[in-house]
This record gives sequence, structure tokens and C-alpha cells, in this order.
Amino acid sequence: MQLILDPDMICCVTGEPTLTELDDIEALDRVYRSRLLRFVAYSTGDQDLAETIVQDCLLKAYNARDSFRGDCAVYTWLAHIATNLIRDQQRTRKFQFWRKVQKTAPDLNELSSLLPSGESSPELQLLAREQAQQVSAVLESLSTNQRTIFLMRFIEEMELQEICQATGMQISTVKTHLHRAVKAVRLKLGGRI
Amino acid sequence: MENQQSHLTHLTDAQFSDLLLGANPPAVRAHLEACPQCSAEAERVSLAIGSFEQQSRLWAERRAASQPILASHRQPAFPWLHRPQAWTAVALAVALAVGIGVTVRNDHPRGVPQQVAMTQPAPAVSPATLKADNELLSAIDGELRADESTPATMYGLTVTSHGVRTRAPKRISN
Repeated sequence: MQLILDPDMICCVTGEPTLTELDDIEALDRVYRSRLLRFVAYSTGDQDLAETIVQDCLLKAYNARDSFRGDCAVYTWLAHIATNLIRDQQRTRKFQFWRKVQKTAPDLNELSSLLPSGESSPELQLLAREQAQQVSAVLESLSTNQRTIFLMRFIEEMELQEICQATGMQISTVKTHLHRAVKAVRLKLGGRI
Repeated sequence: MENQQSHLTHLTDAQFSDLLLGANPPAVRAHLEACPQCSAEAERVSLAIGSFEQQSRLWAERRAASQPILASHRQPAFPWLHRPQAWTAVALAVALAVGIGVTVRNDHPRGVPQQVAMTQPAPAVSPATLKADNELLSAIDGELRADESTPATMYGLTVTSHGVRTRAPKRISN
């Protein structure tokens, strides 16, 4: 599996050059691992695979840091690398992917003890957990592109332009995927569509 | 008919998505203020996504914290120096070099003095001294030859100049 970095994908509009982050792989790991792990885990539906992809992503970014011109945010660049790695994985493991999804998908139930309890009542916490599980269930039913773009926009809070840079899609395509994903979420949550 | 009329006036799918994406034009804002259904749905979806974001972030942070941090893979100037085997090899090479040096020195203990002696001029000796020394050495050599007794002579054998051993004539005594 070889990642080919497209220089056109790196020509971003916003963001400050943060080359020092890329020069220190330990800092890169500390700052971005959890974000990448969440994005990749919910993109692939496989937390074990996600750990492998995140590690590959960080190492590739570190090794290819000279090709990063600093024109966009480091996370946008990392998300671009991670997206390519996810695609590669899904090509090679296409047939066994969905079989593993149900076995190793991130389990939000295990977080019940970690949720902050002082700010809301147990009923509200239970409701929030159920809503989160509904969103998680919807994500599994989305297409790969819809899921990836939904996660980038609503979970990673990336701008549409950054999503275009990370995925290599046109902005109209990104919006279409987003609208379909939102529609699916609304349906799952009992919206009137 | 009333439901159909209200459905037609609700936010469209595109408007709802744009609202979630952050776009909030005056027309949409006005509709949300007037329509409790759309307002409630927008709030419900936003809360659900927010809850998912919060819980998935907690999950990812905990999961990431349980994994070892990647170490630096910078290539040093002399990478072989950072391998333990390299230092072992260097230590062996030094030990061998020292050992060979000591052995060579022990095999030729007088090497250097000999060279020094060869380079020094011989002391001046007078011809008379040399003659006296030679006579003394000849005398010593003669005495040594006279006392020489070999196993051959003990058995009555003599060694000729040609190297052929013959039995000495037996003396007949009275």
C-alpha cells in the first residue's frame, strides 16, 4: 500500500504554516491522534483497523513532511492522508470489511461512566446517549463518501473548503453528500421528510 | 389538507441541511421563529449530533491515551553508530588490534635495539686485541674438541672426514 500525495490537494487557501508540528512526531501524535482516531474509526467502522491506519497516517505525514507547504491546516493534510489510507484499505479488504464492522465498531455504551454527570440529569444523559447511538447507527448505513464527509463537517468541524481539499471532491459534490447524510440522520431521529 | 399545507411551508431538505451547516438566512430564521415543529426538529438533530460528537471524542481520547506515542524516527548522521552490534564490533576490533600488537612486540623483543645497534658505529678495536682474542678463542675451541666424547667414541667408533663411520682397530694387549 503506497500513498501518493497529490500536490494539488495541498494547495489550501487558509491556515498558518505550522511546520514545527510536523518536525516533531511525538507532538504530532499527541495533538492529532485522538482526532484522527475518531474520524477513521467512524469512517471505517472498525476501531482496530482505525488504530493501524492512524499510525500509518502519522508516520506517512512525518516522513513526507517536506512536501507539506504549510498552505493549509495540518489536520486538513492529515485528513487527506487518512482518507487515502481508508480508501486503500477498503479496496484491499472490501469483502471482509462489513463483516468486521459489527464486531469492532466503536461502542459508545462503554463511555457511560465517562460522561459528565454534574451538568445534566440522568434522564438527559440517557437521552443524549440514545441520540448519539442513533447517529452512530445512521453512520453505518451511509455510503463511504457520505459518512466521511458528514464526519468531517459535523464531528471534525472542518469547513467545506477544507473538506474539498481533504477529499479531492468538488464543493457541489461535498454538499450533495452532506445533504443526503443529514436527510438520513433526520429520518432516523424521527424527522418529517 | 391542513397537514399538507403545513408540510409545504416547512423548511426544505436543502434549507434544513444549510441550517445545520451554519447558514442562517433571514427567511429561515423567521420560519424557525414561527414554526415550532421545524425549530424543535432542528434542535433535536443538533443535540443528537452534539451528543455524538461529545461521546465519540471521549471514546477517541481514552482510546488514544491507551496507546504508546510514536517515537522519533529521525535518521542520525551515522546510523550504524546507534546499533549495539556496532559498538560490539568496534570493541572486538580494538581488542584484536591491541592483542596483535602485543603479540608482535613479544615475538620481536629486541627488534628495536637491534636496529639501533646496527645503526650505531662499531667501537674501534686494535689489531693486536683482535689477534689476542682470536688466539684465545682458538685455544678454547681446541680444548673443547679434545674433551669431546660422543656416544660414537664410547663404542669405539670414529668419524672420518668423509663422514663414514668405521670401527677403530682393536689393540691387542699382552
